[in-house]
Amino acid sequence: MQLLERYLQAVKFWLPKDQKEDIIAELSEDIRSQIDDKEAALGHKLNEFELESILKQRGRPILVANRYLPQEHLIGPVLFPIYRLVVKIVLLCYLVPWIVTWLALLIFNSGYTAKFVGHSWVEAFGYLWASLWSTAFLAAGIVTLIFAILERVQRKSHFLEEWNPRKLPPVNNPNVISRFNSIVELAANFFFCVWWTAHMSSNLILNEVNLRISLAPVWRYFFWGFLLVAFVNIGLAAVNLVRPYWTASRATARLLSDIAGSVLFCWLLKANLLVEIAGASIPPAKALQLTTAINFWMAKMFLVAIILGVVIAVVNIFRIVRVAALQSHIPGERAAMA
Amino acid sequence: MSSENFDNLRLELRRGGLVVAVLAALHSEQYGYTLRKIMADHGIEIDEGTLYPLLRRLESQGLLTSRWREEQKRNKRFYKLTAAGKQILEQLLTEWRSMDSSINSILKEYGHATSRTVFASR
Repeated sequence: MQLLERYLQAVKFWLPKDQKEDIIAELSEDIRSQIDDKEAALGHKLNEFELESILKQRGRPILVANRYLPQEHLIGPVLFPIYRLVVKIVLLCYLVPWIVTWLALLIFNSGYTAKFVGHSWVEAFGYLWASLWSTAFLAAGIVTLIFAILERVQRKSHFLEEWNPRKLPPVNNPNVISRFNSIVELAANFFFCVWWTAHMSSNLILNEVNLRISLAPVWRYFFWGFLLVAFVNIGLAAVNLVRPYWTASRATARLLSDIAGSVLFCWLLKANLLVEIAGASIPPAKALQLTTAINFWMAKMFLVAIILGVVIAVVNIFRIVRVAALQSHIPGERAAMA
Repeated sequence: MSSENFDNLRLELRRGGLVVAVLAALHSEQYGYTLRKIMADHGIEIDEGTLYPLLRRLESQGLLTSRWREEQKRNKRFYKLTAAGKQILEQLLTEWRSMDSSINSILKEYGHATSRTVFASR
């Protein structure tokens, strides 16, 4: 019976202080009654293995004790969906700038990359990983703490039960294009075209007395390329203004236009476009140094531009998939309006 | 439907029924172990980890009363329905029968012409 005493002691450890003795007395009696019944059925005293089998059937001591405890939670079912959303937002707001900063340091800061010289890739990655996760855990921990406090306040004040249906947000349809956005896009692209043709059509983009900036002959491709993309955007914005909802064809046109813009921009960064900066007050050596530096930093931005281009393309592809999925459910233009 | 789904739904369905069954069985004084046996004899298996916390909860709500008493040279805790418990049991049974009747009526009307009584409470 020593095994039974050990079992009861283990259960007792987890029980609430004021009920320990009472619960253990009743549990002990229940198990002993079961043992009596089993012994009567078998016709002999239970051996160690048979007793072990009964206790095993009863369950792990902490689980048995747990059933007598009040159901507790750090964050309850009412607040949990909000908590999960906030944690996601906080982590996203932390992770994205962190990755961008890290990439920028890696590309532009030679002092930062020098830190890892002589270390293996695994060590360098471990260092980055540790600094990322320690802050991410801290952020998630602070959010959890705030919600744990809110949970306690909510349990007492029931502040979440007070609400007004009129304050609910309007129905959100991601396939509807805001007319305001279309007007802004139309105006922005129109002014861009006017400014672009007026000031950027020549290789000599600035020709003042004090300052002259000239670009490489390859500039004409960029000039016409960006102008064409702007015209396509004007056309698209005009159609979106009249029919303010995405269709698969228009979403694809937007994807192609954005890809063309991104490719042009990436190419521009790598094209060593700046040929000359000259000015009365700038010494030629200084001007040459400046020209080389600008071309160098533009080329350095290439990776960031590619990442941005990929992000834009992914957003566009996601939109196409979403629109196509909706259209496959509800045929025709009504799908977009749904 | 997976077996796990069925088990979870069955557990949900049984939860309220267990309270009614326990209250009904405690019209006469019983201690935990005999109560479990009575329930098992009537087709309702209930493990001690569910029964004892339930008995404590019902006692704290004033529906049961308990006292320690020696029987067969061992101290046992006997439970019995209080007046409030009897009243609640009657109300729960009324609710139970009304639900039984409603579900049977739905089953008869929507394609289960041969349905029998859903609950075995009658």
